[in-house]
Amino acid sequence: MTTSAAAGSAERSELKRSITARQLYFYVVGDVLGSGIYVLIGLVAAAVGGAFWMAFLAGVAVAAVTGLAYAELVTKYPQAAGASLYVNKAFRRPVLTFFITICMLSANMAAVGSLASGFVRYFAGVVGMSEDAVIPTLLIALAFIAVITVINLIGISESVGLNVVLTFIELSGLLLIMVIGVIALVQGISDPAVLLEFSGEGSKAIAVVSGVSLAFFAMTGFENAANVAEETIDPSRAFPRALIGGMVTAGAVYVLVSLAAALAVPIETLSGNTLLEVIRADLLPVPVDVMLVVFGLIAMVAISNTALVTVVAQSRILYGMAREDVVPGVFAKVHPTRRSPYVALLFGVCVVGSLLVIGAVIQLTGSELDVVDRLATITVVFLLFIYALVIVACLRLRGSDETPDTYRASTPLLYLGIVGNLVVLVYTLYDDPGSLLWVAGLLALGVVLYLAERVSTGRRPPAAVTTETDGRA
Amino acid sequence: MHVVVATDGSQASLAAAEQFQQIADGREITEVTVVAVVSPYAAVPFANELPGRRNAEPTDISFQADAAAAVDVVAAVFDGWGPTVHRRVRSGSPAAEIIRAAEEVGAGLISLASGGRGLTATILLGTTAARVQHSAPCPVLVCRPTRTAPTGAAPPV
Repeated sequence: MTTSAAAGSAERSELKRSITARQLYFYVVGDVLGSGIYVLIGLVAAAVGGAFWMAFLAGVAVAAVTGLAYAELVTKYPQAAGASLYVNKAFRRPVLTFFITICMLSANMAAVGSLASGFVRYFAGVVGMSEDAVIPTLLIALAFIAVITVINLIGISESVGLNVVLTFIELSGLLLIMVIGVIALVQGISDPAVLLEFSGEGSKAIAVVSGVSLAFFAMTGFENAANVAEETIDPSRAFPRALIGGMVTAGAVYVLVSLAAALAVPIETLSGNTLLEVIRADLLPVPVDVMLVVFGLIAMVAISNTALVTVVAQSRILYGMAREDVVPGVFAKVHPTRRSPYVALLFGVCVVGSLLVIGAVIQLTGSELDVVDRLATITVVFLLFIYALVIVACLRLRGSDETPDTYRASTPLLYLGIVGNLVVLVYTLYDDPGSLLWVAGLLALGVVLYLAERVSTGRRPPAAVTTETDGRA
Repeated sequence: MHVVVATDGSQASLAAAEQFQQIADGREITEVTVVAVVSPYAAVPFANELPGRRNAEPTDISFQADAAAAVDVVAAVFDGWGPTVHRRVRSGSPAAEIIRAAEEVGAGLISLASGGRGLTATILLGTTAARVQHSAPCPVLVCRPTRTAPTGAAPPV
C-alpha cells in the first residue's frame, strides 16, 4: 500500500484550524453553565444554608486552579485525549493511563445520568407532573438520553454557530434569576443577612465543604475544551484566555445567581428544588405561569446542551480506546454516512440508562435516594481524583516539551489545587460512602471491556498493542 | 482543470477517487486537490478507516494526523497520473469546507462519494454529498458505493 508521499509533484498536507479563541470561550461557558446550577442549586442550598454562594465560590476556585493546569498542559500537548494524554506523558504507566481513561468515561456517564434526572425536574415543573412518580420520571429521563444520543448520531449538534446560540440561551436564564435577585433586594423581600446563615449545627467550614462537592459538579465540563485543542487557532494564546475566562465568567454567574436565589426565596423553599422556585416567587412584572414555562424551557435547553457535549466526550473516549485496542474494536465503528461512532454512542446510552433504572429500582424499594444527587456525587468523586492527578502531571511535566509560547500556571496555586481537590474528595467519600459502590460498579464495567478485548484478541498486553491502530483495515 | 477530490476517511471515498480517475481524462486535468475535513465538535472529528497512520503511543490520538493520513492514501491514487496533486486538511463543517476549498482553488469539478446506500441515506437528508451538490460553484461528481463492499485493493496504475 503506497501510503508514503512518493510522488514528487505532491506536497505535504496543509493543516487549517478553525476554532477561534472567542468560539472556544463560548464552548467553555456553555458547557460549564448547563451542568450545574440549573440542576443542583437546591441541593447545595439544602446542604449549606443561606450562605451557599460560598460553596459555589469555593467550588469555582478549586475548579479554576485545575483549569490553570489544563491550560498549561493543553498548550504543551494540543491533542484531543485530555487527562489520559497528560497522565500518560507524565507517568508512562499504561495501567494508570487505562485507569484514568475509565474514570473519565465513568464520570461522563454518571454526569449524563444526573443531567437527565435534572432535566426531568424542570420538565415535571413545566408540565405540572409530580416528581415523586418514579416510573414516569424514569421514562422521561430515558427518553431524554435517547433523544440526546440520536442527535449525536445524526450529528446536528456539531455546528459552531449553534453552540454560541445555546450558550446565550443558557446565560439568559441565569440573567433572569439575577434580575429577580436585584428586585428582591430593592423590595426588601428578605433580610440580606440570610446570605451569611448556615444551616445545621456543625462548623461553618464543614457546612461549606459539604456544599462544595456538589457545587463542584457545576464547574465540570471545562475539561471538554481539550477535545477541540487540535482545532484551535494559536492554542498557546487562545487556550489560557478562553479556558480561564470562561470559568471565571461561569463562576461569577454562579455566585451571583446563588446570591439572587437566596434573596428571592426562603432557603427552605429552595432546598431540594430547582430554580423554578425563584420564578414562582413572582417578582417579575410578567404572569408567573408564562415565566415558569419560558424559564423551564431555557433550563431544559441548557441541560441538553451540556448533555450533548458530555455524550460526545464519552463516545469519543470509547472510540479512542478502541483505536488503541484497549477495548473491543467494535467501539471504533463509525456510521458510513453520518461518521458518528454509533456503537460507542449506543453503549453509552445503555450504561446511562442502566444507572437510571438502578436508581429507580432503589427508589421503588422504599429507600431515600436522590438520583441527581447520587449521580452528581459519583461524577465529582471521579473528577476530583482525575483533576488532582492532572495537576500532579502538570507539575511532573515541568521542564519537558516547553516552548517559549507555553503558558505556565502559578506553582503555589497548583499545589493549593491538589490540596483543594483532595480535601473535597475525602469529604465527599466520608459524607456519602454509598457512592463508592457505584464508583466500583462503573470501574468494573471498564475492566470487563478490557478483558473482553484481551479475550477476543488473545495474548497482547496493553503496552504492545498501543503501537497499532485500526485493525479493521 | 483543477479538481477537488474529497475524502472522509471511508473506503467508499477511496473507491470514489479511483472511479473518478477511471472516468476522467488525465490530459484535461492539470491539478488535483485532495481535501479532508475535520469537524471539531463531532463525536469523532475524523474517522480514518483507510490503512496508514499508527499512533506513536497510546493517547496520542490526533484527528488532524488521521485526516492527513487519509489524504495521503487517496492522493496516492493519482501517483504518476499526470496532474499536480495538492493535499489539504481543513477544519469545520465538511460540506461548507469542501465548497470553500473548491472556491479557493477555482475548481472545475468536485469529486466525492455519497455516504451510503439504503434506508439511512434516504431518510437522513443533508448528507455531505447532497449539501455539496446543492451549493457547489462547479459540477459535482458523486460516486455511488459499489454493490460489493469495496476492499482496500491496491489502486490501479
